[in-house]
Amino acid sequence: MSAPENVTLTIDGRVVEVPKGTGLVETAAVAGIEIPVFCYEPRLGPPVGACRMCLVEVEGIPKLQAGCTLTAQEGMVVGTGATSEKAAEGQNATLEFILVNHPLDCPVCDKGGECPLQDLTFRYGPGQTRMTFPKRTLDKPIPISPTIALDRERCILCYRCTRFSESVAEDGQLVARNRGSMSMIATFEDEPYRDLFSGNVIELCPVGALTSTQYRFEARPWEIQNVPTICGLCPVGCNISATTREGKVKRILSRNHPEVDQGWLCDKGRFAYPHLYAEDRIATPLERVRRRGFGEISWDDGLDRAEALLRGAGGRIVTALSGSETIEEAYALGRLLRVGLGAHSAVLPEATSSALDAFRAPLSSIGHAEVVVVIGEERVADRAPIVGLWIKQARRNGGDVVELAEPKLDAELEQRLRSSDRAVLIWSGRAGGGGARLAELAHSLGFDGKPGCSAFHLPATPNGRGVAEAWAAAADRDEANPEPIGLLIVSGDEAAADPAVRALAEKAEHVLAITMYHGLAVGWADLVLPATSYLERDGSFVNLEGRVQRLRRSVIPPVPDELGWISKLAARFGVEISPHASLVFAELAETVYGGEASFGDVGERAPLPARAAYEPPEPRPVAPIPPPAAAPAEHFLGTLRLLRYRPLFSGPTVERVPELRFQRPAAEVELAAADAERRQIRNGDSVTVRSESILTLRARIDRRLPPGVARIAEEHARDLGTTVEVSRSSNPFTSAGGERA
Amino acid sequence: MSTLYEEIRELMAVYPEPRSATLPALRLAQEKHGWLSPEALREAAEGLGETPAYCMAVASFYDMFHLAPVGRHLVEVCTNVSCALVGAQQVLEAFERELGVRPGETTADGEVTLRTVECLGGCGWATIVALDHRYRTHVQPADVGAIVEELRADG
Repeated sequence: MSAPENVTLTIDGRVVEVPKGTGLVETAAVAGIEIPVFCYEPRLGPPVGACRMCLVEVEGIPKLQAGCTLTAQEGMVVGTGATSEKAAEGQNATLEFILVNHPLDCPVCDKGGECPLQDLTFRYGPGQTRMTFPKRTLDKPIPISPTIALDRERCILCYRCTRFSESVAEDGQLVARNRGSMSMIATFEDEPYRDLFSGNVIELCPVGALTSTQYRFEARPWEIQNVPTICGLCPVGCNISATTREGKVKRILSRNHPEVDQGWLCDKGRFAYPHLYAEDRIATPLERVRRRGFGEISWDDGLDRAEALLRGAGGRIVTALSGSETIEEAYALGRLLRVGLGAHSAVLPEATSSALDAFRAPLSSIGHAEVVVVIGEERVADRAPIVGLWIKQARRNGGDVVELAEPKLDAELEQRLRSSDRAVLIWSGRAGGGGARLAELAHSLGFDGKPGCSAFHLPATPNGRGVAEAWAAAADRDEANPEPIGLLIVSGDEAAADPAVRALAEKAEHVLAITMYHGLAVGWADLVLPATSYLERDGSFVNLEGRVQRLRRSVIPPVPDELGWISKLAARFGVEISPHASLVFAELAETVYGGEASFGDVGERAPLPARAAYEPPEPRPVAPIPPPAAAPAEHFLGTLRLLRYRPLFSGPTVERVPELRFQRPAAEVELAAADAERRQIRNGDSVTVRSESILTLRARIDRRLPPGVARIAEEHARDLGTTVEVSRSSNPFTSAGGERA
Repeated sequence: MSTLYEEIRELMAVYPEPRSATLPALRLAQEKHGWLSPEALREAAEGLGETPAYCMAVASFYDMFHLAPVGRHLVEVCTNVSCALVGAQQVLEAFERELGVRPGETTADGEVTLRTVECLGGCGWATIVALDHRYRTHVQPADVGAIVEELRADG
């Protein structure tokens, strides 16, 4: 690619040189001049010039132009409202026009105080109104989903939200209805706007038309503080700001990291914060009291009991980690248990291979790839939603996206990947050695020497890799699997909710649970130490790119944080560990991060470490991916392989947020069209799913699904076996499709 | 007879950009259902591979798509400049009297919907009235009684 040619132009008398084709808004910004905008937002695709706020005068063009739709040209002479009277008059008139039907209910509007319409009216608008007619009134607010309210009177029809829906999320659900002055933003009929990314339209709205139902009337902008931190709910680690007021988190906003999230945030990350205030949140240590459940005890007693349990186990301790601990917490726990007690055994849902470091690139590189190969049976959006947006961007930019159930490339695709300079491999599945197999594939395709070619593994846990590395760094002795288990330590809510961990507990004499919620501790823990959330901790996460990002404490938790009491407990076993994340990080950084990184250096927008040299993954046997069951022959209603998946909107955090209930998957079984047809099952039919147990679910036909599988969300699959029979429910009156025989 | 889904798929193949089939697909759905009910929009959307919301957005932009039920017959009176100059208003009023409804309304028996429309492209033959999309030219208020009778007789 040749360097773009530079052009020189004049804006408000200032000469500015930029690459040809730079947008005029950006060009003006280079010259330190603001062109005000409402609808302009480069992340939404090409400009539309809908709001007319950006009017400028261009020499040689008789009429005012929408600045946002122009690009820098050689010799252009531009006057903005600051110097051109005509432009200033035009902007003034634009605002007067926008305000004709705007209710000016700023005193009761959530946006008041942080509203572009307020700000731009103040600076560019008319000081008074000439309106003598009554304003248009409409029903308001109308819920467009349980999380978003729409005030149509306030809408200025900039079309940012509908453009997001159409061109970024590509869900096509939020649209403009009618035309001209009757236009209004709407969904289809009364259907809610149900998309993983719907909440972004709240932030995009330049007025108070789209507001968050959670944040409505909760705070004014001058009462709040925004804490820059990281979302801890998936391995992407989107950069966020936690808005706090009087020590409580009130909302989550995106905080654009152009390489990670481009300023988008999924609804789980945005709307799940009320989990901090769940009814069953544990505030004090709990001890099992025979028959009666739990009794509250003091922290001193709690630590005494913990010490006694640890000593009593005689080193026969297994730790079930969640992968959502900070690396500092995992390291401290590792020091306490491994150095203090010689308890080296730990389990983690999924390992992540460091072999992928040789093919590292920012997530944003996916957006410009010419070919993206997604391997695995788990949907990208369920594991790492933002990666799904980057893949959509690649497709919009003309890239090809290939989805494969197994890492088997045909000759043509292999050749394409070999010859491409911008190819991306993504592993979205359970097997594959945490990306080890993908690294081998990338190596075999010659990705090592091509910085534009990268490979990503989408782990099941937010910080699994960081936790594993920190745990490993805590001591250098071998792991042993104690039998029988004297004490099972359950670290975190995900581990506490994991059926595999529960099964492990059956074999343990005692269970110590570190969890936020009563519901996760009851019935199996002997001692419960209260946990904190990612919004309440200082520390670091390693995301799926291998980027070390910092969590900042947004609010003071109602309980001491883990690092604090682990430090105290460790002292009782002669292990010195600081209760401060920055000091633990410094200790950890020396062994894991080469002593280069320091806590302070991580900054608000963390950099990506350089690529490492490729080292073949350790020759540990890699479990093969189970092959899809052969397609059943005609006229044969064979069994289907059950494909269990963990939906994005699931888990102990989401379960505690009522507003997100509508996002959780329905009790459905997804079937390939051919499998459904063979069983005479139509979309929406009630079907019976049979293995060792029997369930009745609604059928959904998914044209993307390969034949031979039945896909069911984990929470609905319950104790079904690995193969199932699916048939139409025999009783026509249970038909969910509404048809009566 | 082919289904709406198949007809829409055929239409899409005609255009270089499949989305261009949206308007004809909506017309087909409207012909089948009489109006663009939520059900009709869903069917059109399934054929087009778009969302129902997208179809609703497009349909609501255009005047000739009906997002509310209409009568079996449609009377559309042009009230644009040329027709207005030769008495379209009186023609419209005659229809209002004869049918007992205001423009935009449907007779109580669900037979006839009366609408005003913008230019139908027949300025040389004003006043133009479209009866179920077929033009009557040079319509005078005095003709209206016979036209309505004819419509009703058509069953």
